[in-house]
Amino acid sequence: MRKLFRFIADLFLRPSVRIGLGVLVTGGFIAGVLSWQGFNTAMEATNKEEFCISCHTMHDNLLPELQKTVHWNNRSGVRARCPDCHVPHNFTDKVARKMQASREVWGHLVGTIGTREKFKEHRLVLAQREWARFSANGSKECRACHDYKDMDFDKMRPSSQVAMRSAAARDQSCVDCHKGVAHQLPEMKGARNPAFDTLVSNASGQSVSAGNEYYLVVPQDLFADEALTQRIGSVEVATQVKVLETKGDAQRIELALWRKNKGYGRVWYSNFGLNITSAILDKEMARDAGLVNVLASQEDPMTGLEWQQVKASAWMRKGSLIDSVEPIWTIARASYNTSCSVCHRQPDEAHFDTNTWPGLFAGMVGFTSIDQDTARVVLKYLQSHSSDFSTSQHGAGSPEGALQTARP
Amino acid sequence: MNYSRRGFLKAMGVMSGTALLAPGLLTARPAFAADEAPGVSEDITTWRISGSHFGAIRAKVVGDRVVDVRPFEYDKYPTEMIQGIVGLIYSSSRVRYPMVRLDWYRKRHLSDTTQRGDNRFVRVSWDEALDMFYEELERIQKDHGPWALHTGGVGWRSVGQMHSCGNHMVRGVGMHGRSVGTAGDYSTGAGQVILPYILGSTEVYSQGTSWEVILRESKLIVFWANDPIKNLQVGWNTETHEAYAYYEQLKEKVADKSIQVICLDPVRSKTQNYLAAEHQYVNPMTDVPLMLAIAHTLVKEDLYDKTFLDTYTLGFDRFLPYLEGKTEDQVEKTPEWAAAICGVPAERIRELARLMAKHRTQLIFGWAVQRQQHGEQPYWMGAVLAAMLGQIGLPGGGISYSHHYSSVGVSSSGAAMPGAYPLNVDAGRKPKHDNTDFKGYSSVVPIARVIDALLEPGKEIDFNGAKVKLPPYKMAIFSGCNQWHRQQQRNRMKEAWQKLETVVAIDYNWTATCRFADIVLPACTPFERNDIDAYGSYSNRGVIAMQKLIDPLYHSRSDFDIFRGLTRRFDRDAEYTRGMDEMQWVEKLYEDCRAENGLKDIAMPPFAEFWKKGYVLFPEGKSWVRHADFRDDAELNALGTPSGFIEIFSRKIERYGYADCKGHPVWMEKTERSHGGPGSDRHPLWLQSVHPDKRLHSQLCESEPLRSTYAIQGREPVFIGPQDAAARGIKHGDLVRVFNDRGQLLAGAHVSDNFPTGVVRIQEGAWYGPTGPEIGALDTYGDPNTVTLDIGSSSLAQATSANTCLVEIEKFIGVAPAVTAFGGPTEVDPDGRKVMAP
Repeated sequence: MRKLFRFIADLFLRPSVRIGLGVLVTGGFIAGVLSWQGFNTAMEATNKEEFCISCHTMHDNLLPELQKTVHWNNRSGVRARCPDCHVPHNFTDKVARKMQASREVWGHLVGTIGTREKFKEHRLVLAQREWARFSANGSKECRACHDYKDMDFDKMRPSSQVAMRSAAARDQSCVDCHKGVAHQLPEMKGARNPAFDTLVSNASGQSVSAGNEYYLVVPQDLFADEALTQRIGSVEVATQVKVLETKGDAQRIELALWRKNKGYGRVWYSNFGLNITSAILDKEMARDAGLVNVLASQEDPMTGLEWQQVKASAWMRKGSLIDSVEPIWTIARASYNTSCSVCHRQPDEAHFDTNTWPGLFAGMVGFTSIDQDTARVVLKYLQSHSSDFSTSQHGAGSPEGALQTARP
Repeated sequence: MNYSRRGFLKAMGVMSGTALLAPGLLTARPAFAADEAPGVSEDITTWRISGSHFGAIRAKVVGDRVVDVRPFEYDKYPTEMIQGIVGLIYSSSRVRYPMVRLDWYRKRHLSDTTQRGDNRFVRVSWDEALDMFYEELERIQKDHGPWALHTGGVGWRSVGQMHSCGNHMVRGVGMHGRSVGTAGDYSTGAGQVILPYILGSTEVYSQGTSWEVILRESKLIVFWANDPIKNLQVGWNTETHEAYAYYEQLKEKVADKSIQVICLDPVRSKTQNYLAAEHQYVNPMTDVPLMLAIAHTLVKEDLYDKTFLDTYTLGFDRFLPYLEGKTEDQVEKTPEWAAAICGVPAERIRELARLMAKHRTQLIFGWAVQRQQHGEQPYWMGAVLAAMLGQIGLPGGGISYSHHYSSVGVSSSGAAMPGAYPLNVDAGRKPKHDNTDFKGYSSVVPIARVIDALLEPGKEIDFNGAKVKLPPYKMAIFSGCNQWHRQQQRNRMKEAWQKLETVVAIDYNWTATCRFADIVLPACTPFERNDIDAYGSYSNRGVIAMQKLIDPLYHSRSDFDIFRGLTRRFDRDAEYTRGMDEMQWVEKLYEDCRAENGLKDIAMPPFAEFWKKGYVLFPEGKSWVRHADFRDDAELNALGTPSGFIEIFSRKIERYGYADCKGHPVWMEKTERSHGGPGSDRHPLWLQSVHPDKRLHSQLCESEPLRSTYAIQGREPVFIGPQDAAARGIKHGDLVRVFNDRGQLLAGAHVSDNFPTGVVRIQEGAWYGPTGPEIGALDTYGDPNTVTLDIGSSSLAQATSANTCLVEIEKFIGVAPAVTAFGGPTEVDPDGRKVMAP
């Protein structure tokens, strides 16, 4: 073994005694040229559609999907090929992307995505990676062909104009809105709203510092330990939490909320007397004095129930916090305006009080196609923008407060 | 009188004209003739398909004429209402051309409004009509502001998600400027306001426990003032009639005595007759005393569920003293006390309480008891009773307020249904007149109080914990909405209408709302346009293609075209349509729905394939128990009440301080009540105006073939018991005058054993046909809202009190005036000379 090392060391370090320096340098140069050529040829070869679809995963899954879209077949005969969208066009990024691509090759070789079913199961992860890349580079590859500066907004449909002008003003990444333009969207069990994917990718890039307050972009499980093994409950989307510390993949947060002192007191609300669900503890944990610190008690005159101000800290997986709640409300507002005007005029948010919204929402949400997760966010949005929070003239149960339903 | 006689002659002319033009159509073969006429077996699956509130249909079209309509092959329990569709399309009442009321044509908004209702109209072109419409909108927004414009809340628009007429009106008018809207509806106005305080949801439109669960688990079912067999014929979207399969099973279970069914109602309903169930008579409007006495018995005999009350409810301790007579009224709510009011013997009340407590009991309420003065109370007390029985959330137990509606109780497939044409102005866009100044008036009025707003301008009324300042609007727009059917007390409406400067009505048939309008625009029927609809409002059974059967008749247009024309007048039509035409919209709504279902792994074919086949159906969903999640974990699945629990006592309502809706359910005497109540000495008969058996509200009344199956001497029937009829010398088939201090109408006596003494029925939706425009004129066809009472249910809901109504009936002697309700307007030229039909 030692001989082998010595041989290798000598080969590189001891000057040649038999071959001239010129020959060596020239040979090295030629070898370099050849390998560069090989590298380039390899780069080029792996950048061709033929290479992409040479593996059966791509060929069987993604190609047939792409072929159904306008990016494959259209009246003007311009076609987007795989690398046009999925490989960066400048050299450095391209090389970086190639390095990352080894992961996909690995997945292909070990069969992680070997069958249609496995691929469909794994597609969300793959898509989210690609969406995150587009989000980070502002959908640079899309914009090689579709750039804001070359768009004639006046030629668009009026509704498109509204959307596109404001997107252009913010230099928004195309894929923020245009997901699934060339392939089928990943199946999200429970039909999670794809609009949240952007928030999740934003949250993964959010820098978080201890002592500051943030908002959950998706619900998260809560744990007693930093290893995230002992689950004690969950925290709801759009809940405000204070970050205490971050260790590895875990984050310790502090919840300062309210609860009703009836039953276990396991549902925690954001404000005194207002039923805006913010966290849900497991039954046995809700009464654990070691976890829950009761700061104060107060009777709610509207119901006669005693409410307690409570505080607790818990661990959760990091990466789902953002520093502003507004992007969450933007998604909720859009969903509310669209889904709730199918049958009738949707009432203004501030036309009901916080505790009236759940009853009305529960009575009507069944007529919409809102998925369960989005429904929770929409309800929370409505409650958080109700007459209890609004400075407008509408009081609780104002006339606008009744359902403006188009039902019988 | 002269005008109306002329109107009648004209109407007769139109009718006979139509009959001559299309002799085969008005007498078209009944829809179910297929089964009875062997020999002619046609493959109806090759016919065009469409949807309706009365079910999905197949239509045979020959030479741009609908000649036959049959039920969609999937519909196992079709309603005979679809026999009315041909008559609806080819009705003598079709709005044929844009029409403008004579004096309005001459003087615009300064017209003599006492002439409104004389039915004299001038024909104009579409361009003239839309110009006038637009100029009026401009005038109102510029001279007054949004408080002066009222856009009537649309109810049962024709089905079809793309052409949903309310959406088109709200979007089209909304792009121009804001307007006064409405809150609530006429069907469930009191229920949908009270129940969120008590059970945490509107309940009236909620999915209910699945029928298979009820049939398996319930031992006692009480249909409380509820007639599902009658009402399930229609649905909010295209109706599947699937619920009838379960009623068939229930009928068997009643027969073999495995389920006891009690129909609690003053009248022996269609449901009770169909199921051969027990009938429990109760005096009209006295359900609350009966319920209080049942509750009293549950307490006295210790039959109520204290654990349930402790765990899941709040405030029983504040209700109990009232029950025991320890609060203000000092009356103990004993069965003996109740018996004297509600007419149910005390011992029978105790028996009912014991039955309910002993068995797994499902209470199923209809909507009729909340369409009365203090209509909040029976719904609230029903919930209290159900809470005391402790079965809420158990399979086959608890309370429902919706099982008579749109096949509630058929489990949902879980599929997403198509969205609709956008109702809102697009995000980021503003109306042309971006004015939000309502001058201190409320921008939304409780729907049943829109007449008060005209008669008592600026008045502040209570509503659901707030004050409403009634706006004296000057212009009103109704689209696909018959305000002159659903609102109460016609003569009061006439007085109010005289204060309006301009009324626009958009409809396909000449309803009384058109008659009392100034600009009338002819919409086409849903059978004259392409659309899609959800199949099954609760079962989400599928998506139905509404393939255009024929071209729009006369000069009628789709709502989409009408409002595109209006928005073009202020250069917003491209924005209005988003640059898409009818079929592009239909395809978009379908493909959006398909994409949503794709996420749920529910497959739908591409649009072209769907459109060709005409439907896509989804499999049965899982059965379900209402409130089971709440019962399972009341903290996690809290109700939408202020406390999250069932509120037997509502501190929130108590804090409003209303005399007519207090902190817990209370029995209150009515303004007028039969069977010994106030006013029964002068007008002894209680008039109930229930949902009709052979119409959807006022829809299909104008369909002559269908109307001829129930009308008596050409008039709407008034159902009356044999004793009341005999006492008045009235025989079945007689023409009678129904009257009180509010109005008078002619109707045909239908004597039926189903009706007890002191109870009569005229089904709502009968078209209003007064002899003339003057206040107090006799209604010639029999619209019950000629005599109903227009007061709010209470300060809480301000809902309609249609079922609080007493009348007297007499045999009509003499020459009866002809029916003026149908046949369209009297067409005149601008000088008022009658235009002869070509």
